[in-house]
Amino acid sequence: MAGKSGRTITNVPEKSLKKTLFCWEGMLVVLFILINIFCAGISQSYQFSNVLREMPKYLTEMFLLFPMAFILVLGEIDISVGATVCLSATMTCMASNKGLPFGMVILVALLVGTVCGLVNGLILTNFQELPPMIVTLGTQIVFRGIAEIALGSGGSISLTNADGFRMIAGKVGIIPYIFFVVIIMAVLFSVVLAKTTFGRSVYAIGSNRLAAYYSGIHVQTIRLIIYTVMGFMAGLAALFLTSVLYGANTTTGNGFEMDAIAMAVFGGISTSGGKGRLLGGIISGFTIICLRIGLGQINMNPQLILIILGILLILAVLLPNISAKLNVKKKA
Amino acid sequence: MKENKSVLKKITDSREASLLIVLIVLCIVISLRSPSFMTLKSISDMLKNNAVIMIMTLGMLGVLLIGGIDISIASTLAFSGMSVGMLMKYGMVQNTFVLFLIAIGIGALCGLLIGLIISRGKVLPIIATMGFMYIYRGLAYIIANSQWASAENLGTFKDFALGSVLGVNNVIIVMVICYIIFFIVMKWTKIGRMVYAVGSNREAAQISGINTANVELLVYTVMGTLSGLCGALAVSIYSSAQPNMLYGREMDVIAACVIGGVSMTGGRGSVAGALLGSLILAIIAKALPLVGIEAIAQNTVKGVIILVVIVLNVITQRMMDKNNLKGREM
Repeated sequence: MAGKSGRTITNVPEKSLKKTLFCWEGMLVVLFILINIFCAGISQSYQFSNVLREMPKYLTEMFLLFPMAFILVLGEIDISVGATVCLSATMTCMASNKGLPFGMVILVALLVGTVCGLVNGLILTNFQELPPMIVTLGTQIVFRGIAEIALGSGGSISLTNADGFRMIAGKVGIIPYIFFVVIIMAVLFSVVLAKTTFGRSVYAIGSNRLAAYYSGIHVQTIRLIIYTVMGFMAGLAALFLTSVLYGANTTTGNGFEMDAIAMAVFGGISTSGGKGRLLGGIISGFTIICLRIGLGQINMNPQLILIILGILLILAVLLPNISAKLNVKKKA
Repeated sequence: MKENKSVLKKITDSREASLLIVLIVLCIVISLRSPSFMTLKSISDMLKNNAVIMIMTLGMLGVLLIGGIDISIASTLAFSGMSVGMLMKYGMVQNTFVLFLIAIGIGALCGLLIGLIISRGKVLPIIATMGFMYIYRGLAYIIANSQWASAENLGTFKDFALGSVLGVNNVIIVMVICYIIFFIVMKWTKIGRMVYAVGSNREAAQISGINTANVELLVYTVMGTLSGLCGALAVSIYSSAQPNMLYGREMDVIAACVIGGVSMTGGRGSVAGALLGSLILAIIAKALPLVGIEAIAQNTVKGVIILVVIVLNVITQRMMDKNNLKGREM
């Protein structure tokens, strides 16, 4: 690829065993194994089958992680997803209780989520000056507010007929269906982000929006699609969450957006955009889930678990920065 | 050219003036619907109940001005408030003044830690404060140890929010003092102007000799200090200390700033704007039940209002830019 100036430009990074091991994903895999050993050490009941049984509840957050990674790579943020899950779960329960066939119920869940995402996307693409944080803050309050109105004074709803939901909460052997759905989605989103024109455009927008725009990338269309997909996935998460909880209330999905962002950031996806791979996010997602299950099994105070997660999150970002600083000093 | 600029144009040009008009119109409409709104007692109650949000809006103003964000404030508040509550409950400290100092101290330490991580560790503010949101809230639960401090535990401490000087409630006095200090500091001191400089153009500020990292550290510490103060105030106002105090209300604080015209990208915003923004939010919350909107729909209305305000803001900004360009062509 010799250019006019005679310089050779290579954008294929060299591959070596050392690099693979010491990259962020490699470290995460090591951490994942260490945490599993640690959990097995502290809890007798931390066994494969038990972990799989507990997993569906936590795996719903993974659905949010995939599109959130896209949004973070764009250099943006969406804090309305928790509220979207809440609204979608509420509507799903209501549709099911109205006696609609289960196919329609699924449709309702996905549709409500998609519409919420579309609303975010339309506001953000029509008024590009607005920071996503503020818009999604506003829609977060609105979505949860609508759910509150729909739920009425009781503030909660439970399924009267959970047959369909029991079906999607089923298992193949000991592995729940949701596990397969997550894996399929993980592969799908990873391939789209890493290997397709669409995915590379997302990186381009995240690195330099103006440059991306002038090189002919439809920035606003891509943003609209991503926010809509975010809503769709929130709907899917709501569907599976309902199959675990058999109901919804006004606090359903509280903090989901933060968990999804934390998983992504811990996986090496930068919130300033343009950096990170979905693979890291997926590994870190599973790591956090395993840690939560393990600590939950020894009945650790859930608040203490949150503190540990908070510290891990900050360390995950702080450590590379510090080591980079030290490297610069060494070279100087 | 100057004479041509009519009074009306001046008013629409200034963000604070247009906010003031919105505020006045809101007040008139509400008092037409419900005469009880414009009484001194009702306004004083409203200010007292929103004092916590209004004071924290000041700190958030500083943080947003340098282009940062802090979503850990409600957790810092809970942590310091819960500390005060537990100290009272177990009778370790009874003096109101000392308790306030302790709360402010805890808040300042919390803020200092956040500031260090952000300014020295170069961690993005949203990530760092998200982590600390978990950590401080968790600490609040842990020192609570599944207990909570109720009115009878709080003895003389809760009297602070009931007492008044010259007919003005203590809480409102604290708030007014905070606003006056901030107004003076932001407008007329070197530190205040440094904050604006860093927010408008960080590199330029650095080159002109401002230690940007220290300015960053300062605003987060101030934010923490105010959150700590508000922790003590909240315990006194609601005469109870619970670890889930003001859960999620950091968003209200950010919303108040944004409505008040503080830019999320830094460099733009004023104390007057923050005051008007938080007042508008407080009045809306107070007015919704008065004009007959059910409690259950209030969040939706609040969210819609935030969205409408920010969208209107963009539209007026676009119109202003267009007008400015027109002037240039001629």
